Amino acid sequence: MNNLLTRKTFLQRCGVGFGGLALQALLERDNLLSRDADNSKPLAPRAPHFAPKAKAVIFLFMYGGPSHIDLFDPKPVLTRWHGQAIPAWKAEDAFMGSKTKNVAMASPYQFVRHGEAGIEMAEVFPNLARHADTLCVIRSMHAESNNHGPALFQMNSGAILAGRPSMGSWITYGLGSECDDLPSFVVLLDHQGAPVNGALNWSNGFMPSAYQGVPFRGSGEPIAYLSPPKHITPQRQRGRLDLLKNWNEDFAASYPEESGLDARINAYELAFRMQMSAADCIDLNRESQAVHSAYGLDEKVTAHFGRNCLLARRLVERGVRFVQLYSGGNEGPKAWDAHDDLKANHDLHCQETDRPIAALLDDLKSRGLLDTTLVVWGGEFGRSPVAENGKGRDHHPKGFTMWLAGGGIKGGMVYGATDEFGYEAVENRVSVPDLHATILHQLGLDHERLTYQHTGRDYRLTDVSGKVVKPILA
Amino acid sequence: MNRFLLLIFLSASFDLLNLNILADDQAISINRRQQDSGIQFFEDSVRPVLLEHCYECHSLETKQEGGLALDSKHGLLAGGDHGPALIPGDAAKSLIIQAVRHSDDLAMPPDNKLSDSQIAALEKWVTLGAPDPRTQRPDSDKFERATKHWAFQPLGNPQPMVLVDKSWPQSEVDRYVLAKLVEEGLRPSPPADPATLIRRVTIDLIGLPPSPEEIAAFCKDPSPDAYEAVIDRLLRSPQYGERWGRHWLDLARYADSSGFHNDLDRPYAWKYRDYVIRSFNEDKPYSQFVAEQLAGDEVGWADEASLIATGFCRNGPSNDDNMGKTAEAIQQYRADQLDDVISTVSTVFLGVTIGCARCHDHKTEPFTAKDYYGLFAIFNGSEPFGTIPGKKAKSDKAAEIDPLSQMHALVERTSQVPVTYVMRRGIAANRGAEVEPAVPAVLTLKPAPFPVPAPEAKSSLRRLTLAEWITAPSNPLAWRVLANRVWQHHFGNGIVNTPSNFGFTGAAPTHPELLDYLAVQLIQNGGRLKPLHKQLLMSATYRQSSRASAIGNQQDPKNRFLWKMNLRRMEAEVVRDSILATSGKLNLEMGGPGIKPRLRPDLIPSSQRNKWPTVKLENEKHWRRSVYIYSKRQLLMPILELFDAPATTDSCAARNESVVPTQALVLMNDEFVEEQAGYLAQRVIREVGDDDDKAIERMVLLTLAHRLDDAKMDEAREFVRLRQTDSDRISALTDFAHVLFNSSEFIHVQ
Repeated sequence: MNNLLTRKTFLQRCGVGFGGLALQALLERDNLLSRDADNSKPLAPRAPHFAPKAKAVIFLFMYGGPSHIDLFDPKPVLTRWHGQAIPAWKAEDAFMGSKTKNVAMASPYQFVRHGEAGIEMAEVFPNLARHADTLCVIRSMHAESNNHGPALFQMNSGAILAGRPSMGSWITYGLGSECDDLPSFVVLLDHQGAPVNGALNWSNGFMPSAYQGVPFRGSGEPIAYLSPPKHITPQRQRGRLDLLKNWNEDFAASYPEESGLDARINAYELAFRMQMSAADCIDLNRESQAVHSAYGLDEKVTAHFGRNCLLARRLVERGVRFVQLYSGGNEGPKAWDAHDDLKANHDLHCQETDRPIAALLDDLKSRGLLDTTLVVWGGEFGRSPVAENGKGRDHHPKGFTMWLAGGGIKGGMVYGATDEFGYEAVENRVSVPDLHATILHQLGLDHERLTYQHTGRDYRLTDVSGKVVKPILA
Repeated sequence: MNRFLLLIFLSASFDLLNLNILADDQAISINRRQQDSGIQFFEDSVRPVLLEHCYECHSLETKQEGGLALDSKHGLLAGGDHGPALIPGDAAKSLIIQAVRHSDDLAMPPDNKLSDSQIAALEKWVTLGAPDPRTQRPDSDKFERATKHWAFQPLGNPQPMVLVDKSWPQSEVDRYVLAKLVEEGLRPSPPADPATLIRRVTIDLIGLPPSPEEIAAFCKDPSPDAYEAVIDRLLRSPQYGERWGRHWLDLARYADSSGFHNDLDRPYAWKYRDYVIRSFNEDKPYSQFVAEQLAGDEVGWADEASLIATGFCRNGPSNDDNMGKTAEAIQQYRADQLDDVISTVSTVFLGVTIGCARCHDHKTEPFTAKDYYGLFAIFNGSEPFGTIPGKKAKSDKAAEIDPLSQMHALVERTSQVPVTYVMRRGIAANRGAEVEPAVPAVLTLKPAPFPVPAPEAKSSLRRLTLAEWITAPSNPLAWRVLANRVWQHHFGNGIVNTPSNFGFTGAAPTHPELLDYLAVQLIQNGGRLKPLHKQLLMSATYRQSSRASAIGNQQDPKNRFLWKMNLRRMEAEVVRDSILATSGKLNLEMGGPGIKPRLRPDLIPSSQRNKWPTVKLENEKHWRRSVYIYSKRQLLMPILELFDAPATTDSCAARNESVVPTQALVLMNDEFVEEQAGYLAQRVIREVGDDDDKAIERMVLLTLAHRLDDAKMDEAREFVRLRQTDSDRISALTDFAHVLFNSSEFIHVQ
């Protein structure tokens, strides 16, 4: 053991060359690294378990719960049953028990088939429709909670309770970071603010804080504490850092065996570089006017999400592994949480996101990045086939839709199905751990081998379940 | 050779025994023959089917899908989520038969149905009464091993070490350490210089740097008596409780908000934090400290303070009213809440990870689900007490009258505790066998006597019984765990390097006899920590230099055997508090509701609930010690979080010492550091006047506790001079202070 640890330390001090990677893969196979990651270099690149299809993930999180039956999973039977009780519905399915009644509600939207595959999509996605043959629409998702907080936790970390590391943390822990001067797990929030659970949604849980998601803003200062207070000139800061470097080097020299001290010197250099690279990353003036209008930056309704989509592309281009974009913040109508008026709510949020998402897919494709970038779309659950308050829909986790694109996933495919009312996933059911296992798989990680030991137990993102959804892999 | 002979002898006598039975009792022999043929049938026709088609998903060796293991008789009879897998003699009613017939929802194996002849064989076998030779539980060696596992053994009576080298050891502790060093071919390091030592011991005990006057006095007289006087002074200081109480708050997953969805304010949680600080300062006996936190309502001396102590059981995240409204969801949520308590209690006090036995018997440790639910039964009668977060008190006046309502506590109101059942797979609705309150079977050297209370009694006293069992001098585990935690915080690593896991998967102790010696010392000191602190700090081991030697680095690079002192990164709170202490702005006011220092305004929207206020300029009410900062689960203070303050979702036994660029960013760019650097500059100008050299010397003494050598002094002088050519003196000195706050030397303890 001692011998191995020494080899590992040696390896990490030498940086990771090809031989290093091979040895690292060996250690990883023996589950040594995963139990004992070096604190001084938590973000050092690590070899995946097997050859990956994707290098990065962009998770378009439609927070609040977009309605599957109004967007991707048409249920004509709801029109016929409009106003009547549906057989499967149980009173306890309702989250808003006093307002949600067992009264079927027809969708306010028309569905159209798109692409060669003829994928059905609601009329509210005129731009996304172009990409029908790129999408793999999973209609058989199911989750465990009908409440935002726990459901968000599950979609992000696999467990409905707080305290587990989120998917971005697992991926960063599993693969390390590809880029030195930007965080590896980035969160882009909606202009309405954070979802419920706040920063716990991108928490590192019981892992070191190096693995937590870093909120990134599209204007002003992209990362908290990126720049010094205004009156500190760059020249003054450089002066301080030069003396600091000398002194820190002297201190490190008196403890040559402490690799953490060298890491600290590097961290300051990196932090200094990050000021430039992060500022450069959010500087959208470097993008052409055509790109700006493609993403909808020149229109008020699409400007915010469009900006985040463009940022996501720029981040992935620079080697960031996991970017999570939230559409919807706070709660209620500010999110996809259409309790009162489904049409008004989804009209707005679809309009905010349709063009930017379509532009993002175009852009990734034209830059050859879509092959190695897995794009995931969805919320923490779907919405009830029965009406809430007459024209709204309630939370509903028993069956809902998500779609994947790129990153080695088959395009132009519909996978799984809900029952005729869209009440429950019945065919080729996909659980949240199944989705997580599949995402990890595309990144070259085996969800059963990616473990982290905490209080005497090897934890996994997928806990004790999860199966890779093989039929959707290209 | 001997062992081999013994084996032959044993097997021979076994055969003789069999023959005797055959001769003596014809009936038994017939039974046995039938059973033998049944077992033969099992071996020929059943075991191969199980092996080939079932074990992949249902065995202790692989996984237990649906909580079911089929590789033992026990596993079949105990069953999984759906109940027992078979009823001997009744094939039709046996789940395993229904499943292999694919006649119902539960169709096994799911993809490839067994052949008709295989199904028929299984049916016949169950009808025969399911004869099964696999009586030995596959995991029974775990329980066998537990009887020998070091941590579960009674405390030894370690004999004083006899050593050749009598010059180095200062205390009994050193004798144990030296004996090990000699064994490993290592030598202790020379003592640290007085300035290093006083900084080390001061930060260690009170979490603040020593003042220049304290440094000067000790450097003038570094005798053992003077050193002892320093330790005594620090142990008497009220800041000791703030420093060591913080270690306990890590374990207790303390926070001021509920986390989850709403992150509700817990308006009186801070009373528990103050209780902990006070308890450390009073040097409360550990048995009392444990009893109050687990059963403050049941102890003989129950009062407001002991009730507040039960906040320990309620510090975990909560999501009341938000986990569903069905009876099932409510029951499940309560089980989840109690799981937090059981996991925390077992790791914190006992160093065992019994929380993992919630869904099924522990895979690697000798704990069964029954053990888990035995603990569950202990807490099953308790309920929240005091103000419910998020719900306003009916009227402020009523709250004034009844201070007891202003707390975040836990009580029992009746001795009639609901019956506890095993919850299969951890699912509350999945009811298994009934269980009695009990402590884990392998740990019961002396079983805990759970009383049968009178029906009219106010409480079942189960939690008090547990607390008394935990800290009984006859229970070695609690005292080993505690002694190890004290050692860990003084030396950087525990003697057991997994401080909350003393089980099979935990680390082995590097110095087992020393650990037992310390545990015995703790018991003899009446469970008080201060004498133990003093004993450890007076040791030569503690007083060693932290500089490495070539031979040490080569033979023991991780310094497991303590041939030197460990260099340590300061904890997050110590970094912030030390900055405030040296700038002269630290406000030492103790206790009360959590403070909310300034956050960058753009961070505030990342938690929409129980929102953090916008603070434009910090003042003395913000400059209190970090242990008093409001711990908001959805939005931890970045300067603390980035330096590895715990996430508070579960118990934290040892903090990380990670190094990430965002740490550098916050120390480089946070207004807090900038402002405090300015205050430090102002302070030294006030204290030493116009002389730059004196200003530099004073700053260095305040932050690093020593004088600069000539080369460094020249460098510092040149830096300050150069900075003054394009700005004023205060900016130049602020820049120098800023460099000091960012320096590796400042945030490390040598």
